[in-house]
Amino acid sequence: MNMNGTLAIWRRDMLVLRRSILSEMIAVVAYPLTIYLAFGIGMQGYIGLVEEIPYGLFIAPGLITMTAVNAAYNESVWSLWFHRRVQFTIETYRVTPISAAEIIIAKILSGFSHGLIKGLVVALVIFAITPFHFPLTNIVTYLAFLIPGSALFSCAGVICGTLLDKPETIGRVEAVLIMPLIFMSGLFFPLSSYSPAIAPFIRLLPTTALFEGARQAMVAGSFSTPFSANLCLSAVVTFAAAVLIFRKKLAE
Amino acid sequence: MPASLPLNPDAAIIVRALSKRYGSLTALHSFDLEVKQGEIFALLGPNGAGKTTLIRILTTLMSPTLGEAFVNGLNTALHGLEIRRLIGVVPQENSLDRYLTARENLELHARLHAMEPKRFKGRIDELLELFGLAGRQHDFPDTFSGGMQRRLVVARALLHEPKVLFLDEPTTGLDPQSRRAVWDYIRSIAGEMTIFLTTHYLEEAEHLCQRIAIMDHGRLITMGSSAELKATLTGGAIYEIEFAVGSEHFADMLQKMACVAKMELAGRVVTVTLERWECLAEVVAALNGAELRRISLREKTLEEVFISLTGVRVRE
Repeated sequence: MNMNGTLAIWRRDMLVLRRSILSEMIAVVAYPLTIYLAFGIGMQGYIGLVEEIPYGLFIAPGLITMTAVNAAYNESVWSLWFHRRVQFTIETYRVTPISAAEIIIAKILSGFSHGLIKGLVVALVIFAITPFHFPLTNIVTYLAFLIPGSALFSCAGVICGTLLDKPETIGRVEAVLIMPLIFMSGLFFPLSSYSPAIAPFIRLLPTTALFEGARQAMVAGSFSTPFSANLCLSAVVTFAAAVLIFRKKLAE
Repeated sequence: MPASLPLNPDAAIIVRALSKRYGSLTALHSFDLEVKQGEIFALLGPNGAGKTTLIRILTTLMSPTLGEAFVNGLNTALHGLEIRRLIGVVPQENSLDRYLTARENLELHARLHAMEPKRFKGRIDELLELFGLAGRQHDFPDTFSGGMQRRLVVARALLHEPKVLFLDEPTTGLDPQSRRAVWDYIRSIAGEMTIFLTTHYLEEAEHLCQRIAIMDHGRLITMGSSAELKATLTGGAIYEIEFAVGSEHFADMLQKMACVAKMELAGRVVTVTLERWECLAEVVAALNGAELRRISLREKTLEEVFISLTGVRVRE
């Protein structure tokens, strides 16, 4: 497949991001940083150690991951919705010699790029204000989770941006589905807190694979193959679903 | 018409027995049409007539339920990518990217058409100059007037030098000056490419197009040049008679004449529709003694043709 269209649209999205990067970063950093200051530093004295590590260290990988995947999801969902419903630029792309798959891959790549850039900025800020230091190998292993995780959320964003016509519905999906999935995955508490009856189901969630796998990678430098396989498979299935749904919706 | 018939090589657009259904609603009913290479062709119809559906099928945005459509000999259902290389589209909505400058909008379009930077840079300069946007090329479209935005959309559609240009209501919402600027440009490129236009402005179709088709309820009603369409309008000649004084008196008198089919009075002007043009002598005789300022034959307008064929009722 020719990726000319994908590259052109991705370049467009990166140009727009470059123009607004400073103002966006303030908002992107503010939210996880506030949570980190409140829970990681403020509550650390009360909570102490969680799974034998300081609470601040326990939540740091999750906050970076949350920033990245939220940015990937938000960029994809709003970009696709805006270009489809407000600006009608998707129609403009579709009367040029590029395929629907090229458009969708571009939007997924853009969401993914947003996620990685914003996650990286939050990581740098958290690393700068905390005494924790991570070996480079841990960070590389962590990226093995963050990259498919951002791709997964970017694909999910594309599906929502394609299917949902009203902006308020997009907000509801985020509140009812995306955020609970992130919080249930053990961002702020260990998975051992779940009852034995529920825990196996929670461990099957792709968000658990992402957040728990990413934490284990960054804190302990360990690579969980089942979590990685779950995450990669979920990303591939969501990507296929995103392409199919986009094509079907546009054909209507 | 059977799909196996050979294609006319002189036709840029061929539509054969095309139908499109949305659930229980049929937007196009077995529609047939041919547009010649290099022709400027207008498609007229009230809201909901099926014009946009037809354009969406021809521009490969939509598949027909039945029938076939060809653009430059390529089947829209099978050769979407190749057709999109050959066509330029000016949609009803402006569809400009408000986060890119005018020049960046054109650059993005050029890249989507896989144009080399060496080629598209010069072409963009040329089009920006031609459409009077060179001085604003680094500004965002949101800061442009409606006319400038529309000109930028037309420039974008022409950037890759298409063989067939689809204009879906290209001048809707423009002031008369901007509308004329777009018309002038369309006229200037006539012959270089085939232009397929839909419009609500009948004057636009009359000014620009060699042939006009009128459609309604998804069906083609009539097609021909503006003069041919006016000639099909039934009914006798319409005359405007302007009186210096006594217009009411003469209007009453004309109303009672058997050969006058219709009479309207507006101030000193009486407009009469005669059953046949031969009735004119009778009317002139009846006006003996009247203080007349003017008697003129009123030409039938395309709007009258359009209304007579599609009705006066407002469509939802």
